[in-house]
Amino acid sequence: MVSVINSIDTAHEDMIHDAQLDYYGTKLATCSSDRLIKVFDVKGGQQTLVANLAGHEGPVWQVAWAHPMFGNIIASCGYDRKVIIWKETNGTWDKLYVYSNHDSSVNSVAFAPHELGLVLACGSSDGSISIVFSTGDGSWDAKKINGAHSIGCNAVSWAPAVAPNALLDQSGKQQPVKKLVSGGCDNLVKIWREEDSQWVEDQKLEGHSDWVRDVSWAPSIGLPKSIIASCSQDCRVIIWTNDGTFNNWTSKVLHKFNDVVWHLSWSITGNILAVSGGDNKVSLWKENLEGQWVCISDVNKGQGQITDGQSAISS
Amino acid sequence: MAAYWSEECAIADFADLQANAMAVDCLGSWTVLAGRKTLALVDLDNPEDRVFRVTRQSKYDISCVQWNPHASHAHLFVTASNNKIDLFSWQESNTKPECSMKGHSRNISDLDWSSFDVNVIASCSTDNFTHLWDVRDPRRPVSSFQTVAGASQVKWNKVTNNCFATAHDGDVRIWDPRKGNTSLVYIAAHLSKIHGLDWNPFNEYSFATSSQDGTVKFWDFTNPRHDKGMLNSGSPVWRARYTPFGHGLITVVVPQLRRGENSLYLWNNDSLQQPVHQFIGHSDVVLEFQWRKSREGKRDYQLVTWSKDQSMRIWKIDPQLQRLCGHDAQDSSENELSAVDVSDAMETDHKETMANQRLNASIMYSNKTDSLPQQQPMNLTQEFSLVNKNIPNVKIEEMAVVKRSCIAIAVSGKNSVTLTVRFPTNYPNEAIPSFEITESTVDNALHKKLHKVLVDTARKFVKRNTNCLEPCLRQFSAAFDKMTLEEKKTPDSDTFPMPQASNKLLQSGLFSAYQDESIPFPRTCGAHFCPAGYVVCFGRSKEAKKGFGRPDVTPKTLSELAVYASSTRVRSSQSASGFPVYFSKSPPTPNSETVSVSMYYKYKDRKQRARVKSRVKDDLELKSKEMIKSSKIRTVTLAPVCIYEISSLLAINKQLGEEYRIDLKDIPKMCQQNIKAALAVGRKDLVQLWSIISQISNPNLMSSPSFDSGSPWALNPFGRQMLESLMQYYQQIHDVQSLAMICCVFWSKQESVQPPVVKPSASKSSLIEGTPVNTEGNITFLPGSSSDSGWNLLSGRSKNLSKSTLTEVPSNPNITAMFQSAIQKVKRSNSWSDFSMDDYRFAEDADPKEKAIQNEKQQHENNCRLLDPCHEAQYEQYLRTYANILYCWKLLTKSAEVLKHISTPLEPHRGIEFGMMCHCCGKNTRGARCNNENCLMLAFQCVICHTGVKGASNFCLLCSHGGHAEHMLEWFQLEDKCPTGCGCFCLTGDPF
Repeated sequence: MVSVINSIDTAHEDMIHDAQLDYYGTKLATCSSDRLIKVFDVKGGQQTLVANLAGHEGPVWQVAWAHPMFGNIIASCGYDRKVIIWKETNGTWDKLYVYSNHDSSVNSVAFAPHELGLVLACGSSDGSISIVFSTGDGSWDAKKINGAHSIGCNAVSWAPAVAPNALLDQSGKQQPVKKLVSGGCDNLVKIWREEDSQWVEDQKLEGHSDWVRDVSWAPSIGLPKSIIASCSQDCRVIIWTNDGTFNNWTSKVLHKFNDVVWHLSWSITGNILAVSGGDNKVSLWKENLEGQWVCISDVNKGQGQITDGQSAISS
Repeated sequence: MAAYWSEECAIADFADLQANAMAVDCLGSWTVLAGRKTLALVDLDNPEDRVFRVTRQSKYDISCVQWNPHASHAHLFVTASNNKIDLFSWQESNTKPECSMKGHSRNISDLDWSSFDVNVIASCSTDNFTHLWDVRDPRRPVSSFQTVAGASQVKWNKVTNNCFATAHDGDVRIWDPRKGNTSLVYIAAHLSKIHGLDWNPFNEYSFATSSQDGTVKFWDFTNPRHDKGMLNSGSPVWRARYTPFGHGLITVVVPQLRRGENSLYLWNNDSLQQPVHQFIGHSDVVLEFQWRKSREGKRDYQLVTWSKDQSMRIWKIDPQLQRLCGHDAQDSSENELSAVDVSDAMETDHKETMANQRLNASIMYSNKTDSLPQQQPMNLTQEFSLVNKNIPNVKIEEMAVVKRSCIAIAVSGKNSVTLTVRFPTNYPNEAIPSFEITESTVDNALHKKLHKVLVDTARKFVKRNTNCLEPCLRQFSAAFDKMTLEEKKTPDSDTFPMPQASNKLLQSGLFSAYQDESIPFPRTCGAHFCPAGYVVCFGRSKEAKKGFGRPDVTPKTLSELAVYASSTRVRSSQSASGFPVYFSKSPPTPNSETVSVSMYYKYKDRKQRARVKSRVKDDLELKSKEMIKSSKIRTVTLAPVCIYEISSLLAINKQLGEEYRIDLKDIPKMCQQNIKAALAVGRKDLVQLWSIISQISNPNLMSSPSFDSGSPWALNPFGRQMLESLMQYYQQIHDVQSLAMICCVFWSKQESVQPPVVKPSASKSSLIEGTPVNTEGNITFLPGSSSDSGWNLLSGRSKNLSKSTLTEVPSNPNITAMFQSAIQKVKRSNSWSDFSMDDYRFAEDADPKEKAIQNEKQQHENNCRLLDPCHEAQYEQYLRTYANILYCWKLLTKSAEVLKHISTPLEPHRGIEFGMMCHCCGKNTRGARCNNENCLMLAFQCVICHTGVKGASNFCLLCSHGGHAEHMLEWFQLEDKCPTGCGCFCLTGDPF
C-alpha cells in the first residue's frame, strides 16, 4: 500500500521548486525561491535538517544528486544563471564548483549515468545546454551546445548508459551510451549524442504545440527499447518509444490534462510515470499488459491519496 | 518615368494635429488622423470642412490606427499607443471607447484586423510577442506567439484565412494561429531591417517586403529561399503596398531620413527598373498612405496620404495610371494621354533629377556597405521610445530628442546622483555620448569611477554602431549601488547574506522583466521517484489557489508574474513608487517590492488570514506587514514535503531482495527458501514461479554431455519455451527482480545445467577459488568454447597452446601483447582468480577439424541451456539493473552476489596499484611471492601470526600494516588501533 512515511515541514520562506531524494532515499534536498537549498536526513521516519546551502542569488529551480560512488554531491541551478555543485565532506557542505557560463536562468540540471563519470548537463533559458564534467584531477571542464533550443531550453535528461540495441548485439563490450534528451521553448524535444567529443543533434521529435516543460528518459531494465516522456505547456504528456533498431520514434499522447504539465519522473523499473503540473496534482501512470497507459493513482481507490497528495496531507 | 502628372483632388491641412498615424475606413467615407492630443475624424468626401475632433488624455503618441476592414463593423477602429490597444466606435459624429487591450510589455509596433474574422486583431511589439485578440474578450490575448526578436509588422493574409506574417528585423515569419508557437515558414528576407510588409491582395502566397537596405522584395512563401523579384529604389523604403488594381506597387522612403524625397512612387511589378509614376506634392515626408475604396459607379481609385507637413492629400488614380500598372480598365480609351503634351519637356527634366537622386543614394550606400549587414542604427527618437524605463534605482527625468539629451537620477540608500547624457549628432556611429554628473551627494573620486563605467559601456556598444543608453544606465545604476554599498559597509552588514553577490546580479541587468519572457513559469509542485522505492512530493497547500483572473491555466513565463506582483502591490497599498526588483532581496527581509512566485497564488481561506493578522495584533503589532506576508507564505502556501513508500506499486520488492537466496549448489533448497520468502510478502505468483524453477532445474532432467544422446531437456516445451514465456511476462510487468533471479539460476554459470556426470573438479570450479585447477575449469566454461572436451584440451596443453598461438599470430601485436600479459599474469600470480578468460579465446583457432567439432559441441551445448544464449547481453543487463536496485536498497552484499553472476566482468581497476616491499629481501615486488629469484619468499607478512600471506589479506592504507583477512577481522572486532602498536586508528582511517 502506498503510505506516507515522512512529512517534512521544510521551513522554506517561499515556494519550493524541487525536492529530490538521494540514491538510497535517506537524504532529501529541497530548493526554493528563498534562494536556499536544504538538506535533510530522513532515516527511519524522522527527519533532521543537516544543511542550509546558501549561494544562489535568486530562486533555485532544480537540484540533482550525483551517484553515491562520487560521494554526497548535489548540483543546483537557478535564476541567477548559475549551476553550483555542492559536496559534503565530514558532515559539512561546501561549494565544490560554480559554473556560470550561461546568459540566462538555468532551468534544469541532471547528472549523467555514473558509468560516464561525474558529468552534469544543464539547460538554460539562453537556449544552450552545457555538459559540465569533472576531469578527475579536481578541475572541471564544460562543453556547450549553443542554440540547442531557440528562446530557451527547459529540461534535460540523460539516456541510460546501456543502449537498447547493444542488448541485441553480441559483439561483446559496448561503450556506455552518451546521449541526452532536452525540451525547450521551440516546442521540440531533441536528442543529442556525443560524437568525436562534440555534441551533435541526433533526433528532433515534433509533437507538442507549446513549450516543452520537462523531458525524462526512462531507465532501462534490459528491454530492447528506449522510452522518453515529455510534457508541455499544451497540457499534454507524450510518450516516445524507439524499438532500438532505428532512429524511428513513435509518439503516443498519454493524456491531455487540464493545466500545464511541468514535471515528469520515471520509477526505477521504467514502467510508472509520475506526472505533475499547474493544478497541484500528482498522478501516477502505468503501462498495462495491453500497452495502454492507465492512471493507477485514480483507478485504485486505495492508492488514490497520492493524486491529491498535496491537498490531502496539508489540510 | 510616366509622361503624366496626376493631381491631388483634395488637400486638407491639419497643422495642429501632430499626427503620426492615419487610417481610411473600409467604406471609403472616413479617415482618422491620430495625434497625441487629438483624434481627428475626417469625412473624405468633404475633407476640409467636415472634421470632428476628439481630445485624448495620454502622454503617449498613437503609433498605429486601423479601421475594421469589414463593412458590417466599419464603424470600429483601434489605436495602439505605447503598450495598450484601444478600441473605439465611431457613430453619429461621436467616438465611444469600447475597450482596451493590454498584454504587451513594450511599445506596440503594429496591429492588423483580421480580413476574415471581424473580431480578431493581431498586434506585435518589441517585447518579442505577437498577440491575437478577440475584441469580445479584451482582457487577454486569445493566443500569443513568441519570437526571439520583436516584430515591426504584423499583417493578415488578404486571401486566405488563418495566415499572417510578421517581420522581425530582416526576417519574415508566416504563421498559422492554429499551429501554436511554431511559425510555418521562416524567410531570411533582408540583411537590414524590414520596415513594411504587404500581402498581395490577389494571391494567397505572395507578399512584398520593404527594407532599410533600399530594396523591395517580392516573395512567394512556398519558396522561402529565393525572392521572386526585387526592386531597388536607392533609398530605404518605409512602406511598399500593392495597388488594388493591376500589378502595381506604391513606395515611400523612410520618414526619418528627411532626404527631401517627399514623393510617393508607383511601380509596375512587371518592370521594376524604374517607377512608372511619382506623386509629387507633399512638402515633407509621407507618413502613411492608404487606398480609398472606389465608390460605386466610379472606375477611379483614390490614394489618401498623410505627411509630416500635416496635410492630407487625396490622389486620384485614373484609368490611365492604372494602365501603367498593367490594369486594363475597360472603356477607358477616352481621355487617353490627355496630359502628355503638357508635360513632355518636364518629363525629361524630371527623369534627370530622379536619376541623380538615385545615383547619390547608391554612392551613399557603397560607402556604407561594410556596415550594411549589421543592424542599422536607430535614431534617437526610436531609441528613447524603446528604452525600458524599469531600471532598478534609476529614474529617467527627461528625454529630449531636440536637445539630444537625457537626464537620469540614480538613487542608492540616501545617496543620489543626477546624470546628464548628451548625444552628438553622429551618435551612435562611432561617437559616444558625453556623460556629466550634475548633482550628487557623493565625492569626486566616485564620480570619476562612475564616469569611467559609463564611457566604457558606451564605447563597447558604439563600436558596433548600436545604441547604448539603456545599457549605460543599467551599468550606471549597478556600479553606483555597489560603490555606495561598499562605502557604508559596516560590521552588521554580515547579517545580510552576500550583499555583493546580489549586486553582481544587478550589474548584469538581470532583473528586467523582458528577459524573463523566455524563462518558464516555475514549478510549484512535483513528484520524484527515488530509485530506492519512494516518491517524494512537494507542492502548494490547499489554500493557495491559483492566481488572479485566470485560474484555468497556469502562466507560461516568469515575466507574467510581474502583472500579479503589481496587482498585489496595489491591493496591499504598499508604497509602490519604486521599481520592481525581481527576487533581488535576500530572504530574511522579505520586502513588499520583492516579486515572488507565491504572489501568483492567492489564499482562499479568509479565516486563516484573519487569524494570522490577529496573531500579529496580539504581538502588539511589533511585526511589520512584511512579516505577515512572509509567515503567510510559509504557513499557507507551502504544503509539507511528503515521502511516500510506493514499493507496492512496483513489481520488485525490497523484502524479497533481502530474503532471496542465490545458491546454485543446491537449487531445490534455494527454491524452497525463495518460495518461503515470496509467501512472506504475499506474492503467490512468485511462489508458483519458484516451484516451477525448482521443477525445471531438477538435476535428473539435465541432458547428457554428448550431443548424440537425444534432444536435450531444454528443448522440451517445459524447458526453454516455458521459461521464455515466463520471462516475457515479467518483462511486461517490468519485474526485473524475477528476471534477474531467473537469469541467476539458468544463465550465469553453466554448472547448473551441466549433468552431474561432469568431473567433480569442474562442477566445483566456481565455488573454490585460488587453485590452478579452478582456472582451467573456468576456461572451459567460457561462452563460446566447448565444455568438457575443451577442458581436456586446455588442461592438457595449456602451456604449449599459449606458445603456439603466439607464433601463429605474430602479425597482430595487440594479440601478442595480450598473450604476453596473460602469461605474465600466470607467472607472477599465485591467485588465478584475476585471470581474464578472454586471453585464451584463441584456443579455438587451433585446428579446423577440432573447430568443427567444437562448433557442433557448442551448438549442442547451447541447446542444452535453458535460456537462449542469443540474449546474453540482455540477461546480463537484468542482472546489472537488479544489482543496482539492490545497491539502492543498501543491500550491498546481495548486490555483489548478483553481480558475481555476470560473465563479462567490470572493467579492471585502472587506478592505483598496490605494490609490496618484500619483508624478507626488501625488494619491490608484486603478487604474493617475491619476484626476486634469490628470495621467492611470500612477500607479505601477517602482523598477527608473522607468517607469509598468500590468500585474502587486509591491510591499512595509512600505516600499511596488515595480514590474513581472518586474523585482521578477529583483531578489529575488539580493537580499533593497529596491532603493531604504531598508533594508527586503522578502522576510522584517522592518521595517528
